[in-house]
Amino acid sequence: MNAVKSIFRNPPLLTFVLVALVWLVAGLTLPGFGAYGHLRYLLELAAVIGIVAAGQTLVILMGGIDLSVGAVITVTAILLPLISPIWDPTGLVGIALALAIATGIGFLNGAGAAYLRVPPIIMTLAMATFLQGLLVVVAGGSAVTVSNPAVILLGQARPFGVPSGVLLWLVVSAVVLALIHRMPIGARFLAIGANPLAARLSGVSLTRNTLILYALSGFFAGLAGILVLGMNRQGYVGIGDPYLLTSIAAVVLGGSSILGGRGTYAGTIPGAILLVTTTALITVVNASPGWRSIMFGTLILALLLISGREARR
Amino acid sequence: MTDQKPLLEARQVFKGFFGNPVLKGVDIALHPGRVHALLGENGAGKSTLINLLSGALQPDSGTIAVDGKPVGRFSPAAARAAGIAVVQQELSLTADLSIAENIGLGAFPRRFGLIDYAELHRGVRNVCDMVGLTEPLDMPVADLALGRRQMVEIAKALFRRPRVLILDEPTSSLSAHEAGILARVIETLRDRGTALLYISHRLNEVQALCSHVTVLKDGGVTADQSLSGIDGEGLVRLMVGRETGDLFPPRAAANPGALRINVEGFSAGLVRDIGFSGRAGEIVGIGGLVGQGQEDLLLGLYGAIPARAAKAEVSGKPGLPAHVGSANAAGLVYVPADRKHEGLVLPHSIASNLILPSLGRLARNGFRDRGAETRLIAELAKRLTIKGDVARPVQALSGGNQQKVALAKWLPLDPSVLLLNDPTRGVDIETKREIYLMLRGFAAEGRLVIIASSDTPELVHLCDRVVVLREGRVAAELAGEAISEEAIVGAAMGVDRKGTAA
Repeated sequence: MNAVKSIFRNPPLLTFVLVALVWLVAGLTLPGFGAYGHLRYLLELAAVIGIVAAGQTLVILMGGIDLSVGAVITVTAILLPLISPIWDPTGLVGIALALAIATGIGFLNGAGAAYLRVPPIIMTLAMATFLQGLLVVVAGGSAVTVSNPAVILLGQARPFGVPSGVLLWLVVSAVVLALIHRMPIGARFLAIGANPLAARLSGVSLTRNTLILYALSGFFAGLAGILVLGMNRQGYVGIGDPYLLTSIAAVVLGGSSILGGRGTYAGTIPGAILLVTTTALITVVNASPGWRSIMFGTLILALLLISGREARR
Repeated sequence: MTDQKPLLEARQVFKGFFGNPVLKGVDIALHPGRVHALLGENGAGKSTLINLLSGALQPDSGTIAVDGKPVGRFSPAAARAAGIAVVQQELSLTADLSIAENIGLGAFPRRFGLIDYAELHRGVRNVCDMVGLTEPLDMPVADLALGRRQMVEIAKALFRRPRVLILDEPTSSLSAHEAGILARVIETLRDRGTALLYISHRLNEVQALCSHVTVLKDGGVTADQSLSGIDGEGLVRLMVGRETGDLFPPRAAANPGALRINVEGFSAGLVRDIGFSGRAGEIVGIGGLVGQGQEDLLLGLYGAIPARAAKAEVSGKPGLPAHVGSANAAGLVYVPADRKHEGLVLPHSIASNLILPSLGRLARNGFRDRGAETRLIAELAKRLTIKGDVARPVQALSGGNQQKVALAKWLPLDPSVLLLNDPTRGVDIETKREIYLMLRGFAAEGRLVIIASSDTPELVHLCDRVVVLREGRVAAELAGEAISEEAIVGAAMGVDRKGTAA
């Protein structure tokens, strides 16, 4: 009884248990769901969401939100093939350039929120719209194929049978968890998220932390964009769109407060897996795309009611 | 006068939260035409009792009786219908609505289903005259100073013509003048036969206004008696259950050291073009009516709001701190008056709050040193006698203990200048004493303590020097023997300029 109670008090754990239950039930009832290859595929898809949601988690913990992550993914996926220099056989220069651009976009978001006092929801939404327009002008709406070897390796290689995207996600998780729980800056984000005024009067710089956080969010969205590009081998306008809502949903499913000040990336990780699993289950059901969207939306709401309920105070 | 039956009473009420008993069998009876004082340290259960009496909470056992008849399920609506009004300690006004709308909220006079503003303004004008609110009635509450908002809150309670009026620390943000008006209102209501319950940490007010007292301690009633023949010390004895000695620590021989803060032509917010200075080892008080620029002076020195000065020297360096970070680096720290919104991160743990300003200093190679943090937190909790588990959210603490956390978090920085904004507002008397002792100790260690306060006795008995602000300018600067309640209040009101030291 006590064990059950403590699970309900711990949203990340609750989400993990939920994922395990869904996998167990689906594995026993649906042929092929429990196969190693299928579960590996699910994790590979979850890795993209998890990496985007890493930045989103940080921003949300500080009481903000980043609505430009989808656009940043698209920008990275389209620009990377165009800016990778031919003289670089490894492809790493192209990746570095793309990440720098993504981080720069995030930094601009932060600067707008910190210096111009534009509410983050407006700032990042305007940035997303701006970027989408820019892409149509630059890339002309056609798909670009990637030949950058490092990106293809990232999207396709499976060292020891584990997709490299999942390995990248592990590294990102370790870094983000350390940032939140082992470094002073994480405690500052949380303090700002819970009470910006008290945090400021306690000597925590809002400007500095806002800039850092949105830059990080841009960086992680860029990283996810490169991974998506590697997995698809093609970048096109709209490739990042599905990841905006899912990144926010993964954070909230993991029990973090959408208002900031409370939560952890440890919840976002199972949150991302849960989202992907749900999508996969809906695909199995033979329904038209319209009905699938309706079911997906309903399921997200239902899941939020289960895992978000206990965290509310 | 009190032989009538009580209008409102609680009989043997018990109430607990999450298994912690807060009230353990409390009786209280409010009689018409009597001002009843409710005393007790923070955490004694006063707020819970008020919530039971006003229907905001249900007792676990025991009964609430109106006019001698027990009521089954007492709700806020039932309490209002029974003529019970409460002036809460936390202001419950809607900032964007006008004074009249706030006062009438929930009890608007209607005409054809619409609000009858003419009728509303007539009724509101009436109660505003009673409490001395002369502002235009359609002025948004957001434009009022804290003290005036409190008067609106009181007018709002009066508007409902209550038979029972409960006042929870009504004077904590009022100036002496406003508190005087409130005292007269209370006397008028009493003579009209209203039953009043008065909660305050200011014992002189209790003595002046109240005729009966109930004292709560740890959820039980330790005294329920007439106040006649009991002096201030007697009241304190009733509250703490023992002799307390003097509330204020003895003043050390004034021995000011080096100049820590010296500004001339200083302006910030409401403060306009003033000179101000403070030396190491001094306690400098800042007095005045509520909202005369006291807070802006502190915030300006702290770099938290834009400020400029013709000449400035802070901690030996020229110029004002540009932001909070550089103020902290220069050894300045600030404890805000509104600890719930400005001082503390309420949902976070006591430990997180205590460690927040020291995070960067304790980190090693960019990572937090948990061992060092735990040791520092334990040391701070011990030094300030903050009891219990430091992993609890800080909002679970009583007001006095919250204030201790808001102060304690700065100690690891070894500040040379402490800027304190009303540090004892809503703090129980025992904690007040602890804080006064601590501030004296800071001064003796050679720190400069600058304290803005709405509590005049505090300025008189604690401070070595008092600067009185009026409309953003220095109305008087008092030192040593010249500091007296009369001199401070006089200067604050701008009536008497004699007796002020040059």
